[in-house]
Amino acid sequence: MRFIDYIVMALRNIMRQKLRSALTIFAVVIGATSVTIMLAAVFSLKGFMTKQLEANGTFQQIQVSPQQDIAWGDGGNTGCADCTKLTDELVTKISTQPHVMGVARMVQLGQMQALTYGDQKLRLNQVSAYDTNGILHNNVVAGRDLNAQDKDGVLTITSDYANKLGFKNNYRALVGKSVGLVTQNWYNGVGSDPAKQYKDQMAWFEAHPGQDGRDYTPPSTTLTGTIVGIVDSGFSSFTVRVPLAWARGMSESQTYQVTKADQEAAQAKCRAAHTPCNSQPAPHLVVSDELAKQGYSSLIVKADQSSNANGVAKNIRDKFHVGAADAQTQIKQQLAIFNVLGYILGGIGGIALVVAAVGVINTMVMSILERTREIGVMRAVGARRSTVSRLFTFEAGLLGMLGGVIGLGLGYGVVLIANPIINKQLQTNGVTGSNIITLPLWLIFGVIGLTTLIGLLAGLYPARRAAKLDPVEALHYE
Amino acid sequence: MPAIIQLKNVTKTYTLGDEVLKALNSVNFSIEPGEFIAITGPSGSGKSTLANIIGGLDRPTEGSVVVDGNDLARVRDSKLSAYRNTHIGFVFQSFNLQGSQTALENVMLPLVFARMRAKDRKARATECLQAVGLGDRLRHRPSQLSGGQRQRVAIARALATKPSIIIADEPTGNLDSARGEEIIKLLKELHDTGITLIIITHDPTIARQAERIVIIRDGRLAERRA
Repeated sequence: MRFIDYIVMALRNIMRQKLRSALTIFAVVIGATSVTIMLAAVFSLKGFMTKQLEANGTFQQIQVSPQQDIAWGDGGNTGCADCTKLTDELVTKISTQPHVMGVARMVQLGQMQALTYGDQKLRLNQVSAYDTNGILHNNVVAGRDLNAQDKDGVLTITSDYANKLGFKNNYRALVGKSVGLVTQNWYNGVGSDPAKQYKDQMAWFEAHPGQDGRDYTPPSTTLTGTIVGIVDSGFSSFTVRVPLAWARGMSESQTYQVTKADQEAAQAKCRAAHTPCNSQPAPHLVVSDELAKQGYSSLIVKADQSSNANGVAKNIRDKFHVGAADAQTQIKQQLAIFNVLGYILGGIGGIALVVAAVGVINTMVMSILERTREIGVMRAVGARRSTVSRLFTFEAGLLGMLGGVIGLGLGYGVVLIANPIINKQLQTNGVTGSNIITLPLWLIFGVIGLTTLIGLLAGLYPARRAAKLDPVEALHYE
Repeated sequence: MPAIIQLKNVTKTYTLGDEVLKALNSVNFSIEPGEFIAITGPSGSGKSTLANIIGGLDRPTEGSVVVDGNDLARVRDSKLSAYRNTHIGFVFQSFNLQGSQTALENVMLPLVFARMRAKDRKARATECLQAVGLGDRLRHRPSQLSGGQRQRVAIARALATKPSIIIADEPTGNLDSARGEEIIKLLKELHDTGITLIIITHDPTIARQAERIVIIRDGRLAERRA
């Protein structure tokens, strides 16, 4: 029997019992549709995120931190015992390493307590500062990102802050507005008034004689900044970003002090004049660059190519005894969760397909019972056992294939409906990208191939039964 | 002339529960080319079993069925099927047509298994239907045809692969006598073209028209030349 005749005959037999065939195929369709949608969604999302990160240059980035055993994205810690300080000297050395395109210094300042806008006051734990040298990009949804010209008094806030401030869908209106950064009480960086603070403290001591200085609480300072841009929240929902120059000032310690040197100088003066030294010498302003003393929280190193990121990270780790992790390795591990998700969801669709396979077996067994006489006739006019077997296997495979094709079509329909919805969602979040869910070719052929295979496998047992029928008995079957 | 089919000591037994039934008991029988044989006997005597074994639809429990030097009792299924396809044309009492298919499609069925091209199949099937006088009924389904016409379609199907033997098992059993006579007349005409004709019947008037009458009683043969 010719191959084409198998197809024609199988198709004709399927058409003969339209309702039953349709119901059987329906079960396959459900399985195929769910497998299609689930796998397409999971793998498209994974691909989209990977592409997004690739486009941001994230895969070229290496995070350097004072601690040696640190993963990418963990943030820096300047306070540990066996840490290596991330100093400007180190930054210079790292910049000259092979495959390094540039370094951005980062600081997390934890001396903040609130962000104010008009009479609104939102919680603010820390301010992020970084070199605005083009190595770190942020996803700007309104206004602009910080640039190299920016100094004190400029900042960006995340869209989550903007939403909380009541500017959802109207981010543009926030650009150019002033906000206040309310510091913690002991803040004595740029913008504070160290002379007044000294005076207030002295006054308090006079008013509370014999009391411990620890009971004195200085007032907080409010720094004023202009919003130049709103940045997509991404993974860090409530963040205020400032240029590194401003952060350097914020981390300064400005205090009026009478140092030991002052006292010695005063005493020497008294001795020389032969007068008793009764009064304290006048205090003077001492400014200390704490950032230089403590080092940066972390550095972001940009490799020339994403494929070199891992090597650069290893080199930095080995040479400078700091922590260095490339984003790529880390993120790819994290994205592997999508594979697991894909397998789980695909598995659910797979169960539906198993149920569908049972349906195919049932239909075929019934069909063979009904067509026993017909099988007898086919055998009498020259059909081999293998011909009969193949015919029914083909029929079952065709049921599976039709189910797969229809399921794929339905899945495609769902994708067509889902994409515009996702597009809209992406747009409101300021993410560039449209029609992110796609049906890759491997999925199309995979689903049709899978359902066809399931059909063929489901057809094996009924086909064997049909082939084993005794032609003489089959011809007289009622 | 050498025998085209030779049955040697053919025994066929069926087991029904504890009872062993001998449908055929050491039957020796040979068929020569172009013969017209009537196999007759009471019901349950084993005449259908004999016809099925000759036609390669069934295998004997013991003994051999020799065709062209091959023992049908021992050949593989594929070879036996090919034998049924090319050498034998079956005509059944209950026609055994595919109800969902047209007369033409029914006649084309053996040609499908003979791996003939669709176009050639159609031509050959049309030819066969014309030969049985149904050239104007090609697109009719069995339900649209009379009993006699249905049996003609079955005969056309038996003829499709140009077999050397036609085995008709009670071909007139489901027809009135007038239609029955027409069918016998048609079969005899085919026999006149050189085809070996084997009719299984319990009707003596049909049996009498054969060149050779084989009577089966309790699985044993008794032969009589016409």
